[in-house]
Amino acid sequence: MEELKKKLKVQIIEALNLQDTKPEDIDDNAPLFGEGLGLDSIDSLELMVLLERHYQIKVEDPREGRKILQSVQSMAEFIQSKQPA
Amino acid sequence: MKGKCYIQGAAAITPQHTFEGDLLSSPLVSGAGNMLSIVEPDYKAFIPANSLRRMTRLLKMGLTTALKAIQDSQLSTPGAIVTGTGKGSLQDTERFIKDIRQYEEKALNPTPFIQSTYNAVNGMIAVQQQVTTYNNTFVHRGFSFESALQDSLLLLAEGVSHTLTGAFDEISAEHFYIKSRIGHWKTATVNNAELYHHLSPGTISGEGASFFVLAAAPTVNSYACIAGLKMLYKPSPATLTAALSAFLAEQQLTVDDIDLVLSGRNGDSNFEHYYTHMDASWPSVPQLPFKHLCGEYETAGAFALWLGAHIIRAQQVPQQWYPFQHSFPGRINRILLYNHFFGDQHVFILLEHAVIPGA
Amino acid sequence: MAERVFITGMGMITAIGDTVTANYNSLRQQQSGLGFTQYLDTMYQGVLPVAEVKHSSEALSEMAGVPHQPEYTRTTLLGLIAIQEALQQAGITQQLHTTPTGFVNSSTVGGMCDTEKVYFDIIDPEKHGDFLKYIDTLDCADCTQRIADKVGITEAVTTISTACSSSANALMYGARLIKQGVLRRVICGGTEALTRFTLNGFNSLKNVDKQPCRPFDHQRNGLNLGEGAAYLVLESESLVRENGSQVLAELSGYCNSNEAFHPTAPSPEGDGAYAAMSQALAMSGRSLQDVQYVNVHGTATWSNDLSEGKALERLFGDQVPPFSSTKPFTGHTLAAAGAIEAIYSVLAIQHQVVFPNLNFSEKMEELSIMPETRLLEQYPVQTVISNSFGFGGNNASLVISKYEG
Repeated sequence: MEELKKKLKVQIIEALNLQDTKPEDIDDNAPLFGEGLGLDSIDSLELMVLLERHYQIKVEDPREGRKILQSVQSMAEFIQSKQPA
Repeated sequence: MKGKCYIQGAAAITPQHTFEGDLLSSPLVSGAGNMLSIVEPDYKAFIPANSLRRMTRLLKMGLTTALKAIQDSQLSTPGAIVTGTGKGSLQDTERFIKDIRQYEEKALNPTPFIQSTYNAVNGMIAVQQQVTTYNNTFVHRGFSFESALQDSLLLLAEGVSHTLTGAFDEISAEHFYIKSRIGHWKTATVNNAELYHHLSPGTISGEGASFFVLAAAPTVNSYACIAGLKMLYKPSPATLTAALSAFLAEQQLTVDDIDLVLSGRNGDSNFEHYYTHMDASWPSVPQLPFKHLCGEYETAGAFALWLGAHIIRAQQVPQQWYPFQHSFPGRINRILLYNHFFGDQHVFILLEHAVIPGA
Repeated sequence: MAERVFITGMGMITAIGDTVTANYNSLRQQQSGLGFTQYLDTMYQGVLPVAEVKHSSEALSEMAGVPHQPEYTRTTLLGLIAIQEALQQAGITQQLHTTPTGFVNSSTVGGMCDTEKVYFDIIDPEKHGDFLKYIDTLDCADCTQRIADKVGITEAVTTISTACSSSANALMYGARLIKQGVLRRVICGGTEALTRFTLNGFNSLKNVDKQPCRPFDHQRNGLNLGEGAAYLVLESESLVRENGSQVLAELSGYCNSNEAFHPTAPSPEGDGAYAAMSQALAMSGRSLQDVQYVNVHGTATWSNDLSEGKALERLFGDQVPPFSSTKPFTGHTLAAAGAIEAIYSVLAIQHQVVFPNLNFSEKMEELSIMPETRLLEQYPVQTVISNSFGFGGNNASLVISKYEG
């Protein structure tokens, strides 16, 4: 889980071109949208692309996506729940 | 086109040092080959980092130029945003076409698609400046900017206090190659400073963004007055000559009242005959070309307007940009701009010294 | 006092018909044009329904009168077919030269429908051939100029691209050119062909429905793309009097406003839609009670319908007139949508009908209003509002009124 979260943070920074952010700046539980990193609905679509490209997980409904993409923690939990044990 | 307007603010990002620095002393940028690229300013000074991270080149260029023009005007938020672009964001269009192929239509990033829409820059300016009123984008090759200008003149006549009017286009290596396949560019590399010495098929490519704040009435800060605009679609040489006479007559002027012609000639022998033909209409008027400064692109006319406005305000030509020219006009109260884009879209614009109220 | 602007000709081609009359019949018979594509090369061929014009490009080139000329893209062909009908209906044959006529066209991706097929050949120095002809069709001006050249428009041409509001803005611009006396006659509209580019673009935004779209339904799940072209002939009142032109309707009001909110999403309370509708209506001199029908933008995306619905409630209170989205018939034809729906608005006035909103079953919980699902006949339609909203926060509303002399 910790490894996954670390990897995710690097991938998020790359996917969204968060130039001035380092992986350690992103708190596992901090909200990614609104306040937190200041991301918006286009970023949420970009993060869904990330999930599909890197983890082969397809999120069809953008509204469902919003719940999954609340924080790095929620993303990691979702990825883990989708991966075969 | 009836109606006049006054340039209250202006900004340009071009292959020359037009964004910052002094027009009359910035050295000529030359020798970069047949594809002139813009001098990139520090975009961070204008756009917050969180907005900048997704933006591609044209969006940054367009938005930054727009913001600088507003700043320069010292006026409040404009009442309308009207722009022209021939190609929109090439970088985004090219990327999305490639992504579709590379990822076989699956899991595509939406950002290039969104930014490839021709009105993307307008949307960003509106969000940044909170302009909720009129917003329009014209996409018609060599009429793109000029249509935006015509729309702006209509808006000012309808009572809009001031408009933000501009144009932007970029060139990419890939698109340069594409257009080379239909003979747009010279096959031999030329130095842009010597462009007019190489009359041969094709020209050199360019890019840039130019924005203006336009108002219906002059102030002490006005650069110049746009006194007339005429677009002609695929005219014959005879039509051009007749249209010029009518255009000047509308202003109660003759060619003798023109102090300077800014000419769009670009060393392309395929279309030089229009310029040669028009030379006969203004035999004794001093002429300056501008394509060696900005290259050829759909909205190069916007840069010419920027240049003309600065020349009128300074009452001086940036002579360092004209190493091939030996004499320059002294008094410059009226400039006629004549430009065409690969022979199809022809434009006359009349620029005049702004008469300051009460002066 | 500025002159009034009248509509004196209309022409169109969409998935539900090759002419204005054919479109009207399909609307009455509630025949949707949605289905799977026959002509678009995409992996979504049997997955995402689209509203495709039911002819190959070869057949379209015959209909347009330019057979065997591959440099006429599908976008251009659709436009040519529609404009020829509009000119014919307006009775304009030789007068194009005697009355200076302008052309304000619109498109969102120009000739992409054809260039996307050969793009990788175009950028490959090893490849040579006929495809090089398509290089000049990449942009939005190509279709405008080919259409203008074919029908003989020389006076003034331009092209607008403001995403989904493009042709509504083209109509508005044409009307303003007339009102200020720049031109007395302008042909305005837009043309749009289906492309893999736009289908994948909207799909990347996750707002394309795998089922026929359901505007204003609680269960709506996105739009379906469509293709088509539509043009309206606008003339000044004085020209109409001089020529004795037959007037179909008046373009009595219009407004272009911007959300200034987000690159692709409208504001949740529909600020831009409200501003566009209310200001267009104010310009027309009509009151809220004068509006009998609203042809809504109604793309069936989650955010559009919510925000447009809120704007309708804000504007009309509890007196919202019958409204419907015709997108389940034609799909979302992007740049062409505004002109297509402007023609539908004229048809509603001419035939005194309100067209049904297909595929609606469940009211949205955020709204108290529901779209009209039946064909209302002998309905006294005098004034219609037609909405077109798009990316970049570009909103446009048109007010079209019955001609009363």
